[in-house]
Amino acid sequence: MIATAWRVIGVGFSLLVVLTAALLYGVEPQQTAFTHGARVGRDVFITFDLRTDDLTVLMLAVVGVVSACVQVYSIGYVRERIASYTALVTLFTAAMVTVVVADNLFLLLIGWEVMGACSYLLIGHYWERRDARSGAMKAFLMTRLGDVGFLFGIFVLGLGYGTFKISELGESPISSGTLTTGTLLLLVGVVGKSAQVPLQTWLPDAMPGPSPVSALIHAATMVAAGVFLIARLYDVFTAAATTLTVLAIVACVTMLFAALCAMAAVEVKRVLAWSTVSQLAIMFAGLSLGTSDGRHAALFHLTTHAAFKGLLFLCAGVLLHEVGTAAFVVLRRYTRRGALRKAMPVTFVTMTIGLASLAGVPGFAGFFSKDAVVEAAWLHARDGSTLGWVVLVSVCLTAALTAFYCVRLWLWVFFRTPALAGALGAFEDDDPMVDAEEPDTSKLHDPSWLMLGPLVLLAVGSIGLGYADGVHLNWGVALVTTVLALLGALPAYSLWQRGADPRPVVLEREFGVDQAYYRIFAVPVRWSAQLAVAGDRDVIGAYVRAAGRTGTLASQGLRRLQTGNAQTYLTAAVIGVIALAILAGVIGS
Amino acid sequence: MPLVLPLLLAVLLFCIGVYGVLARRNAITLLMSFELMLNAVNLNLVAFDAWRLDGLATGQTLAVFVITIAAAEIGLGLAIVLLLFRGHGHVDVDAARDLVEVDHRVETIDRAEKGTDR
Amino acid sequence: MTTALFSIAGAMAVVAAVLVVTSRRIVHAALWLVVALGAVAGCFGVLHAEFVALVQILVYVGAIVVLVLFAMMLTKAPTNPLPGLTTGRSPFAAAVALVLALILGTGVVVAFGNEKVKPVPAGSAESVGNAVFRSWVLPFEVLSVLLLAALIGAIVLSQRSGRLSEPSEPVSGAEGGDD
Repeated sequence: MIATAWRVIGVGFSLLVVLTAALLYGVEPQQTAFTHGARVGRDVFITFDLRTDDLTVLMLAVVGVVSACVQVYSIGYVRERIASYTALVTLFTAAMVTVVVADNLFLLLIGWEVMGACSYLLIGHYWERRDARSGAMKAFLMTRLGDVGFLFGIFVLGLGYGTFKISELGESPISSGTLTTGTLLLLVGVVGKSAQVPLQTWLPDAMPGPSPVSALIHAATMVAAGVFLIARLYDVFTAAATTLTVLAIVACVTMLFAALCAMAAVEVKRVLAWSTVSQLAIMFAGLSLGTSDGRHAALFHLTTHAAFKGLLFLCAGVLLHEVGTAAFVVLRRYTRRGALRKAMPVTFVTMTIGLASLAGVPGFAGFFSKDAVVEAAWLHARDGSTLGWVVLVSVCLTAALTAFYCVRLWLWVFFRTPALAGALGAFEDDDPMVDAEEPDTSKLHDPSWLMLGPLVLLAVGSIGLGYADGVHLNWGVALVTTVLALLGALPAYSLWQRGADPRPVVLEREFGVDQAYYRIFAVPVRWSAQLAVAGDRDVIGAYVRAAGRTGTLASQGLRRLQTGNAQTYLTAAVIGVIALAILAGVIGS
Repeated sequence: MPLVLPLLLAVLLFCIGVYGVLARRNAITLLMSFELMLNAVNLNLVAFDAWRLDGLATGQTLAVFVITIAAAEIGLGLAIVLLLFRGHGHVDVDAARDLVEVDHRVETIDRAEKGTDR
Repeated sequence: MTTALFSIAGAMAVVAAVLVVTSRRIVHAALWLVVALGAVAGCFGVLHAEFVALVQILVYVGAIVVLVLFAMMLTKAPTNPLPGLTTGRSPFAAAVALVLALILGTGVVVAFGNEKVKPVPAGSAESVGNAVFRSWVLPFEVLSVLLLAALIGAIVLSQRSGRLSEPSEPVSGAEGGDD
């Protein structure tokens, strides 16, 4: 009953967001202050202003549609703790809406932090599982690390400009040092929230959360909030050249790094997680160009990415729901019997559309949006910008790598390899006995239409959104990216055909970043924790215990005096009398 | 006759009595030592009476009282000694430790070991 | 004359007292107690407290020592020398007694070193009688009540059986049956 009520509220709220976006579409940008605000310092006001403009409308639409899809999908997907789950997703949506419509940095911060909290709680939805618990904790701590920088960035920028209103930022002059410091600090928060290098490791580890949550929070909206923030404060960021350079370097490193990691991942959701990191980096690369083309391309990519990545995560959720796991090795067991594709045709088709869009197959939405980024970079590079060249090369390389892991995922999950023995052993290295039992393929089928509906809707978006912006194609760029995608796809195909899946150890271990972080941060923290425990137990506790033990020992000693022998008592009494007499004599004399 | 003479005799008797009370094992010897101490007190009383000569013979009267009380005390004391003997089979004061606080656990074990001791 | 007599009686008393507390045979100790008490009675006599001296002999030698001897008989006191005469604390007890003697003796000498006892030739049984039945009649009656109480107490204590603590359990019978 409560669960049903929450489901109604959740879906209704998402639809309300979509409706709001629709109503606001085309309306003149405006700001509204709905409280009087509070005075901080001499003349700085913290107000709770709202604003609506194109960016707000775009983000509202994205958030509303994806969260509506996720809410509907979750009705079929989530089985336990429905009320808390739905409530948290709804709260998350509300927080994202707050971020999107805020015209005040502090209001934005509130939404930003609530999103982080919801993310933590939803990753830990299956809190019975150890990996979910530790993943939630990791996500929380790493985004928190970034949020510290974010908070101080707000202070620096707000005090520098003398206002915390976003629409008034950049109006008054400000020293370049303050500007650079403030934007760099904001960038720290953005990097944490969007899982860019060096705070990238939490996002792949957040995958034990429910798949719809991964789709909504860790693919479509929350991690894109960093992109949104920079787009919102674009005037401020473009004024700080150093920050943009840092952003470009971070984005380029991240997109290649994450794409390489995705190439070696052996679990569908992990591939998608790394892919998300990589695609977010592409958006940041577009933003880091500092041109309006770049911003437009980044937001375009954000929109299409929300559609196709949400779709892919929901498809992975279907696999999890039906098969019980999204690990390649298990999925292959079904595929070798030719079951997976035939049993779940809708899932197969929608996932194919999503992967094609992600890989940048011409005609799909991802193709157009990625090309927009490449084109913006090309235009910038043509103007003589080294940064433009770096971004251009990185995005092109990433396009090839993306095509590789998309094709790899698609082929290995859905198709029987023509190689001998069905390529047994490609993923079974870890556990040779894993194939001992044959899976029961008879019960495999597409899920209910509650879950398939969102898939189809998002699949339509994954194709159609590419044309929403008006078809604008630079044939040269399109040709280059298509060729690059083919270059990436062909090795994947040939490897699959030979039934081999070589995974370099360095990629499987994701460049050892997690281990390094573990050694650098977790181990010393653990040491100091052990030190604190030892200090508490052996130093502070020692005093406490010593107090008790002294009492015990003293009483044991005193107890020995009680021999039960009256003569001893009498002797003591006589000695006492003598002592008193001597004392009296000494005092009296 | 100097007054210190009886007083010193009283001191000596009293201290010999103290030694007897503190050192001897036998309860009856203890009682006898008590008598020595009481006699020392009596000696004091009589000596001071002879010294002061108040005409009321207070010291002597008190000495008689003390002797009476000593009789009462020895009667009770011997009754206690008999009780001790009946309970323990001996009159060794040093071995009579009924006043000691005993762990119930230990006591139970002791009782089990002794068995028919009572 | 009196000093000499007193000294002789006192020396006897001290020697006898020392023998009381050191004698190995407990019956001998009781007999030495008779000597000591008799010597003290002599001291009383020298100090012109003839009535007290008589009471001393009557009560102590006549009653108390007899009681003590009875007690020895009832407690099956051995007549042979006792092996464990004193406790382990006896040197300590001796030291304590010695220190006490030193302190008291010093105190007595310092306080009364120059005082003399004037010789009073007449016996004073009359004055004692007057004192007891005039000035001290109330304490005398109280004392009689005390004696009664002591008598009753001694009877009650004698009526008790064995241990003062808890009653014994029938352990032996049960264990015997098991074995």
